[in-house]
Amino acid sequence: MALPQTAPPGLRPALLAAALLLGAAAAEAQDAAQAPALQPSAARPAPTVISPPTTAEPGDASLSPECRVPGSQLYTLAKLRAVKAALKEKRPVRVLSIGGTSAGLGASATYPVKLETALERSLPDVDIEVEARGLQGEIASGAAERLRSMVAELEPDLVVWQVGTHDALSRVELSAFADALDDAVRWIKSHDIDVVLVDPQYTASLADDAYYNDVVRTVRTVAAREQVPLVQRYEAMRYLAGRTDKGEGHMLGRQFRLNDLGLRCMAEHVTRAITLSLLQQDGGARDAPAQQAEKPAAPR
Amino acid sequence: MRDPNAIDFWRGLALVTIFINHVPGNTFERYTYSQYGISDAAELFVFLAGWSIGIATRGRDGAPEPRGRTVVRLLSRTIEVYRAQLTVMLLALATIAGTALVLDNPLILEWHNAGTFFADPIQTIVGIALLTHQLGFFNILPLYVVLLGIAPVFILLARLSRPAALILSGGLYLLSLIEEWNLPSWPGEGDWFFNPLCWQFLLVLGFVLQDWNRESDTLARWSRRLMPAGIALVLLGIASAVLEIRPDPLRVPEPRLLFTFDKTYLTPARLLHFLGVLLAFRAVYGLVAPRIGPVAGYLARLGRNSLAVFSMGSLLSLGGQLLRFWTGGGLLVDLAILCLGLLAMGYTAWFVEWRSRKPRPRV
Repeated sequence: MALPQTAPPGLRPALLAAALLLGAAAAEAQDAAQAPALQPSAARPAPTVISPPTTAEPGDASLSPECRVPGSQLYTLAKLRAVKAALKEKRPVRVLSIGGTSAGLGASATYPVKLETALERSLPDVDIEVEARGLQGEIASGAAERLRSMVAELEPDLVVWQVGTHDALSRVELSAFADALDDAVRWIKSHDIDVVLVDPQYTASLADDAYYNDVVRTVRTVAAREQVPLVQRYEAMRYLAGRTDKGEGHMLGRQFRLNDLGLRCMAEHVTRAITLSLLQQDGGARDAPAQQAEKPAAPR
Repeated sequence: MRDPNAIDFWRGLALVTIFINHVPGNTFERYTYSQYGISDAAELFVFLAGWSIGIATRGRDGAPEPRGRTVVRLLSRTIEVYRAQLTVMLLALATIAGTALVLDNPLILEWHNAGTFFADPIQTIVGIALLTHQLGFFNILPLYVVLLGIAPVFILLARLSRPAALILSGGLYLLSLIEEWNLPSWPGEGDWFFNPLCWQFLLVLGFVLQDWNRESDTLARWSRRLMPAGIALVLLGIASAVLEIRPDPLRVPEPRLLFTFDKTYLTPARLLHFLGVLLAFRAVYGLVAPRIGPVAGYLARLGRNSLAVFSMGSLLSLGGQLLRFWTGGGLLVDLAILCLGLLAMGYTAWFVEWRSRKPRPRV
């Protein structure tokens, strides 16, 4: 959002506080969204069950309870030099979010907006500008080329790339996918732009699909080889799916709701991976999946 | 029904190529000419659309039809294409949603830009009606709607002066490249996949060249002489595609779009390569058509009914994609998709012609 960027410094704390309030309200709003949308909010019975203190656990201000996943299943970290440089120069950090669900949705509650909000909450005093683009086509055939044009057009500091879904849906050859992805990531990095990869989502119906698992693994391999942070959306969603299993059947059942939840949590997960990656020591070793493991929240 | 001719033949070939290329990853993709050059079937399709407008807006004797009739003709065609786009979008979204339900797989809802619709139906349905929300692989018809909508300006201008029409169109093309102008997407961020401000130039080029060709044989003579240059361009295109040589968009000088290979903006490299393809292949129809009679007849029939065939083809290729995903693909599946697709497109063309011959039933 452009708001904090244009505000005079004095206004910042106030805006930040407002953002925090909004953030806390967001969880509530999500519940409200299930109820008939046009109901005036004032008419609703006052404070619902959500209690802010539990959302703001120390050391973990960014993950809301329903998105809480142990760190080892959520991300691997790596250095983000370009973002760090932008922070050092105190200029706005430009983020290009690419992928299936990134196509900047109209409603304010969706992923790119959430990503921007989440990033600005976890990096106070930093202006984050998120541009979102859908990327049609397969990385293995042509889409990587369009990605290059997009990056050239926007010249971001960081590319957050949800990758693999379209290629998996087309069942392209794994090696072609791996090579094209590797090339594209290396190209972005060669222009001093950081990359965070997000692997494809988990869905129960594909849990045993060997090919699909291979696509997820390929994204992981490329992230490791090119030393870029990876958000393990697949693992995170599988973990969350395991937590909320009872009572819903097929058709529009839990997977479909999980998809929605997955989107919501992804913004938080990506933010977490970015913030922690920024804390990586310059000289330090890269690997070591963050040991930040939070305890899985007790089932409600 | 008109007899098979070169225009319909090439348009039919473009339709088949687009169908195959829109099932990415399939075995036969590598046998389409789109894989071996800088430009692809989209260029051919739009250029031929311009060329046929030239034919359609004149009588057999070459006399231009009244201006009013040309405008109404193009307007009614615009509406027809718009209607086709809406129908196709509805069926595509329903196919995607239905497959996601049957396979119990929400991943499918993320199919090339469809996720926006399922996440934000209120905004997105408006975007679909405005053509600012497009599914991946379903972006040619919106381009076509805009091109036909603005075509009367260029066509009426060309009747006064062909150079004036070319300068206006080429100027808009160049400015859009330099300033990176494009129509916006909404509700998704970003721009149109096919930028009408650039692609209009190819349509106008097709129209103007047809017009010129009708009046004198200068064009024919020169294109014969330039054929070697065309062949050289085609060979260059093959080399660049096979060796994956292309400019790095972050290393070329500004304005970048003058130098990159970009489909959205129909950058000069693509345009030049396409003109090379035209020069190299212009005589091929006359040589091969007599030898491949039924095939030429089949392709020409597709080309004569291009809107219906294209609409059907894009739905078929979506079906093909989903089928490949569901079954895991493989040569047999790919072969089945190809054969069924070709049959269904041929049937569609036959059906449209059959229906237009029959008196309309009164219901």
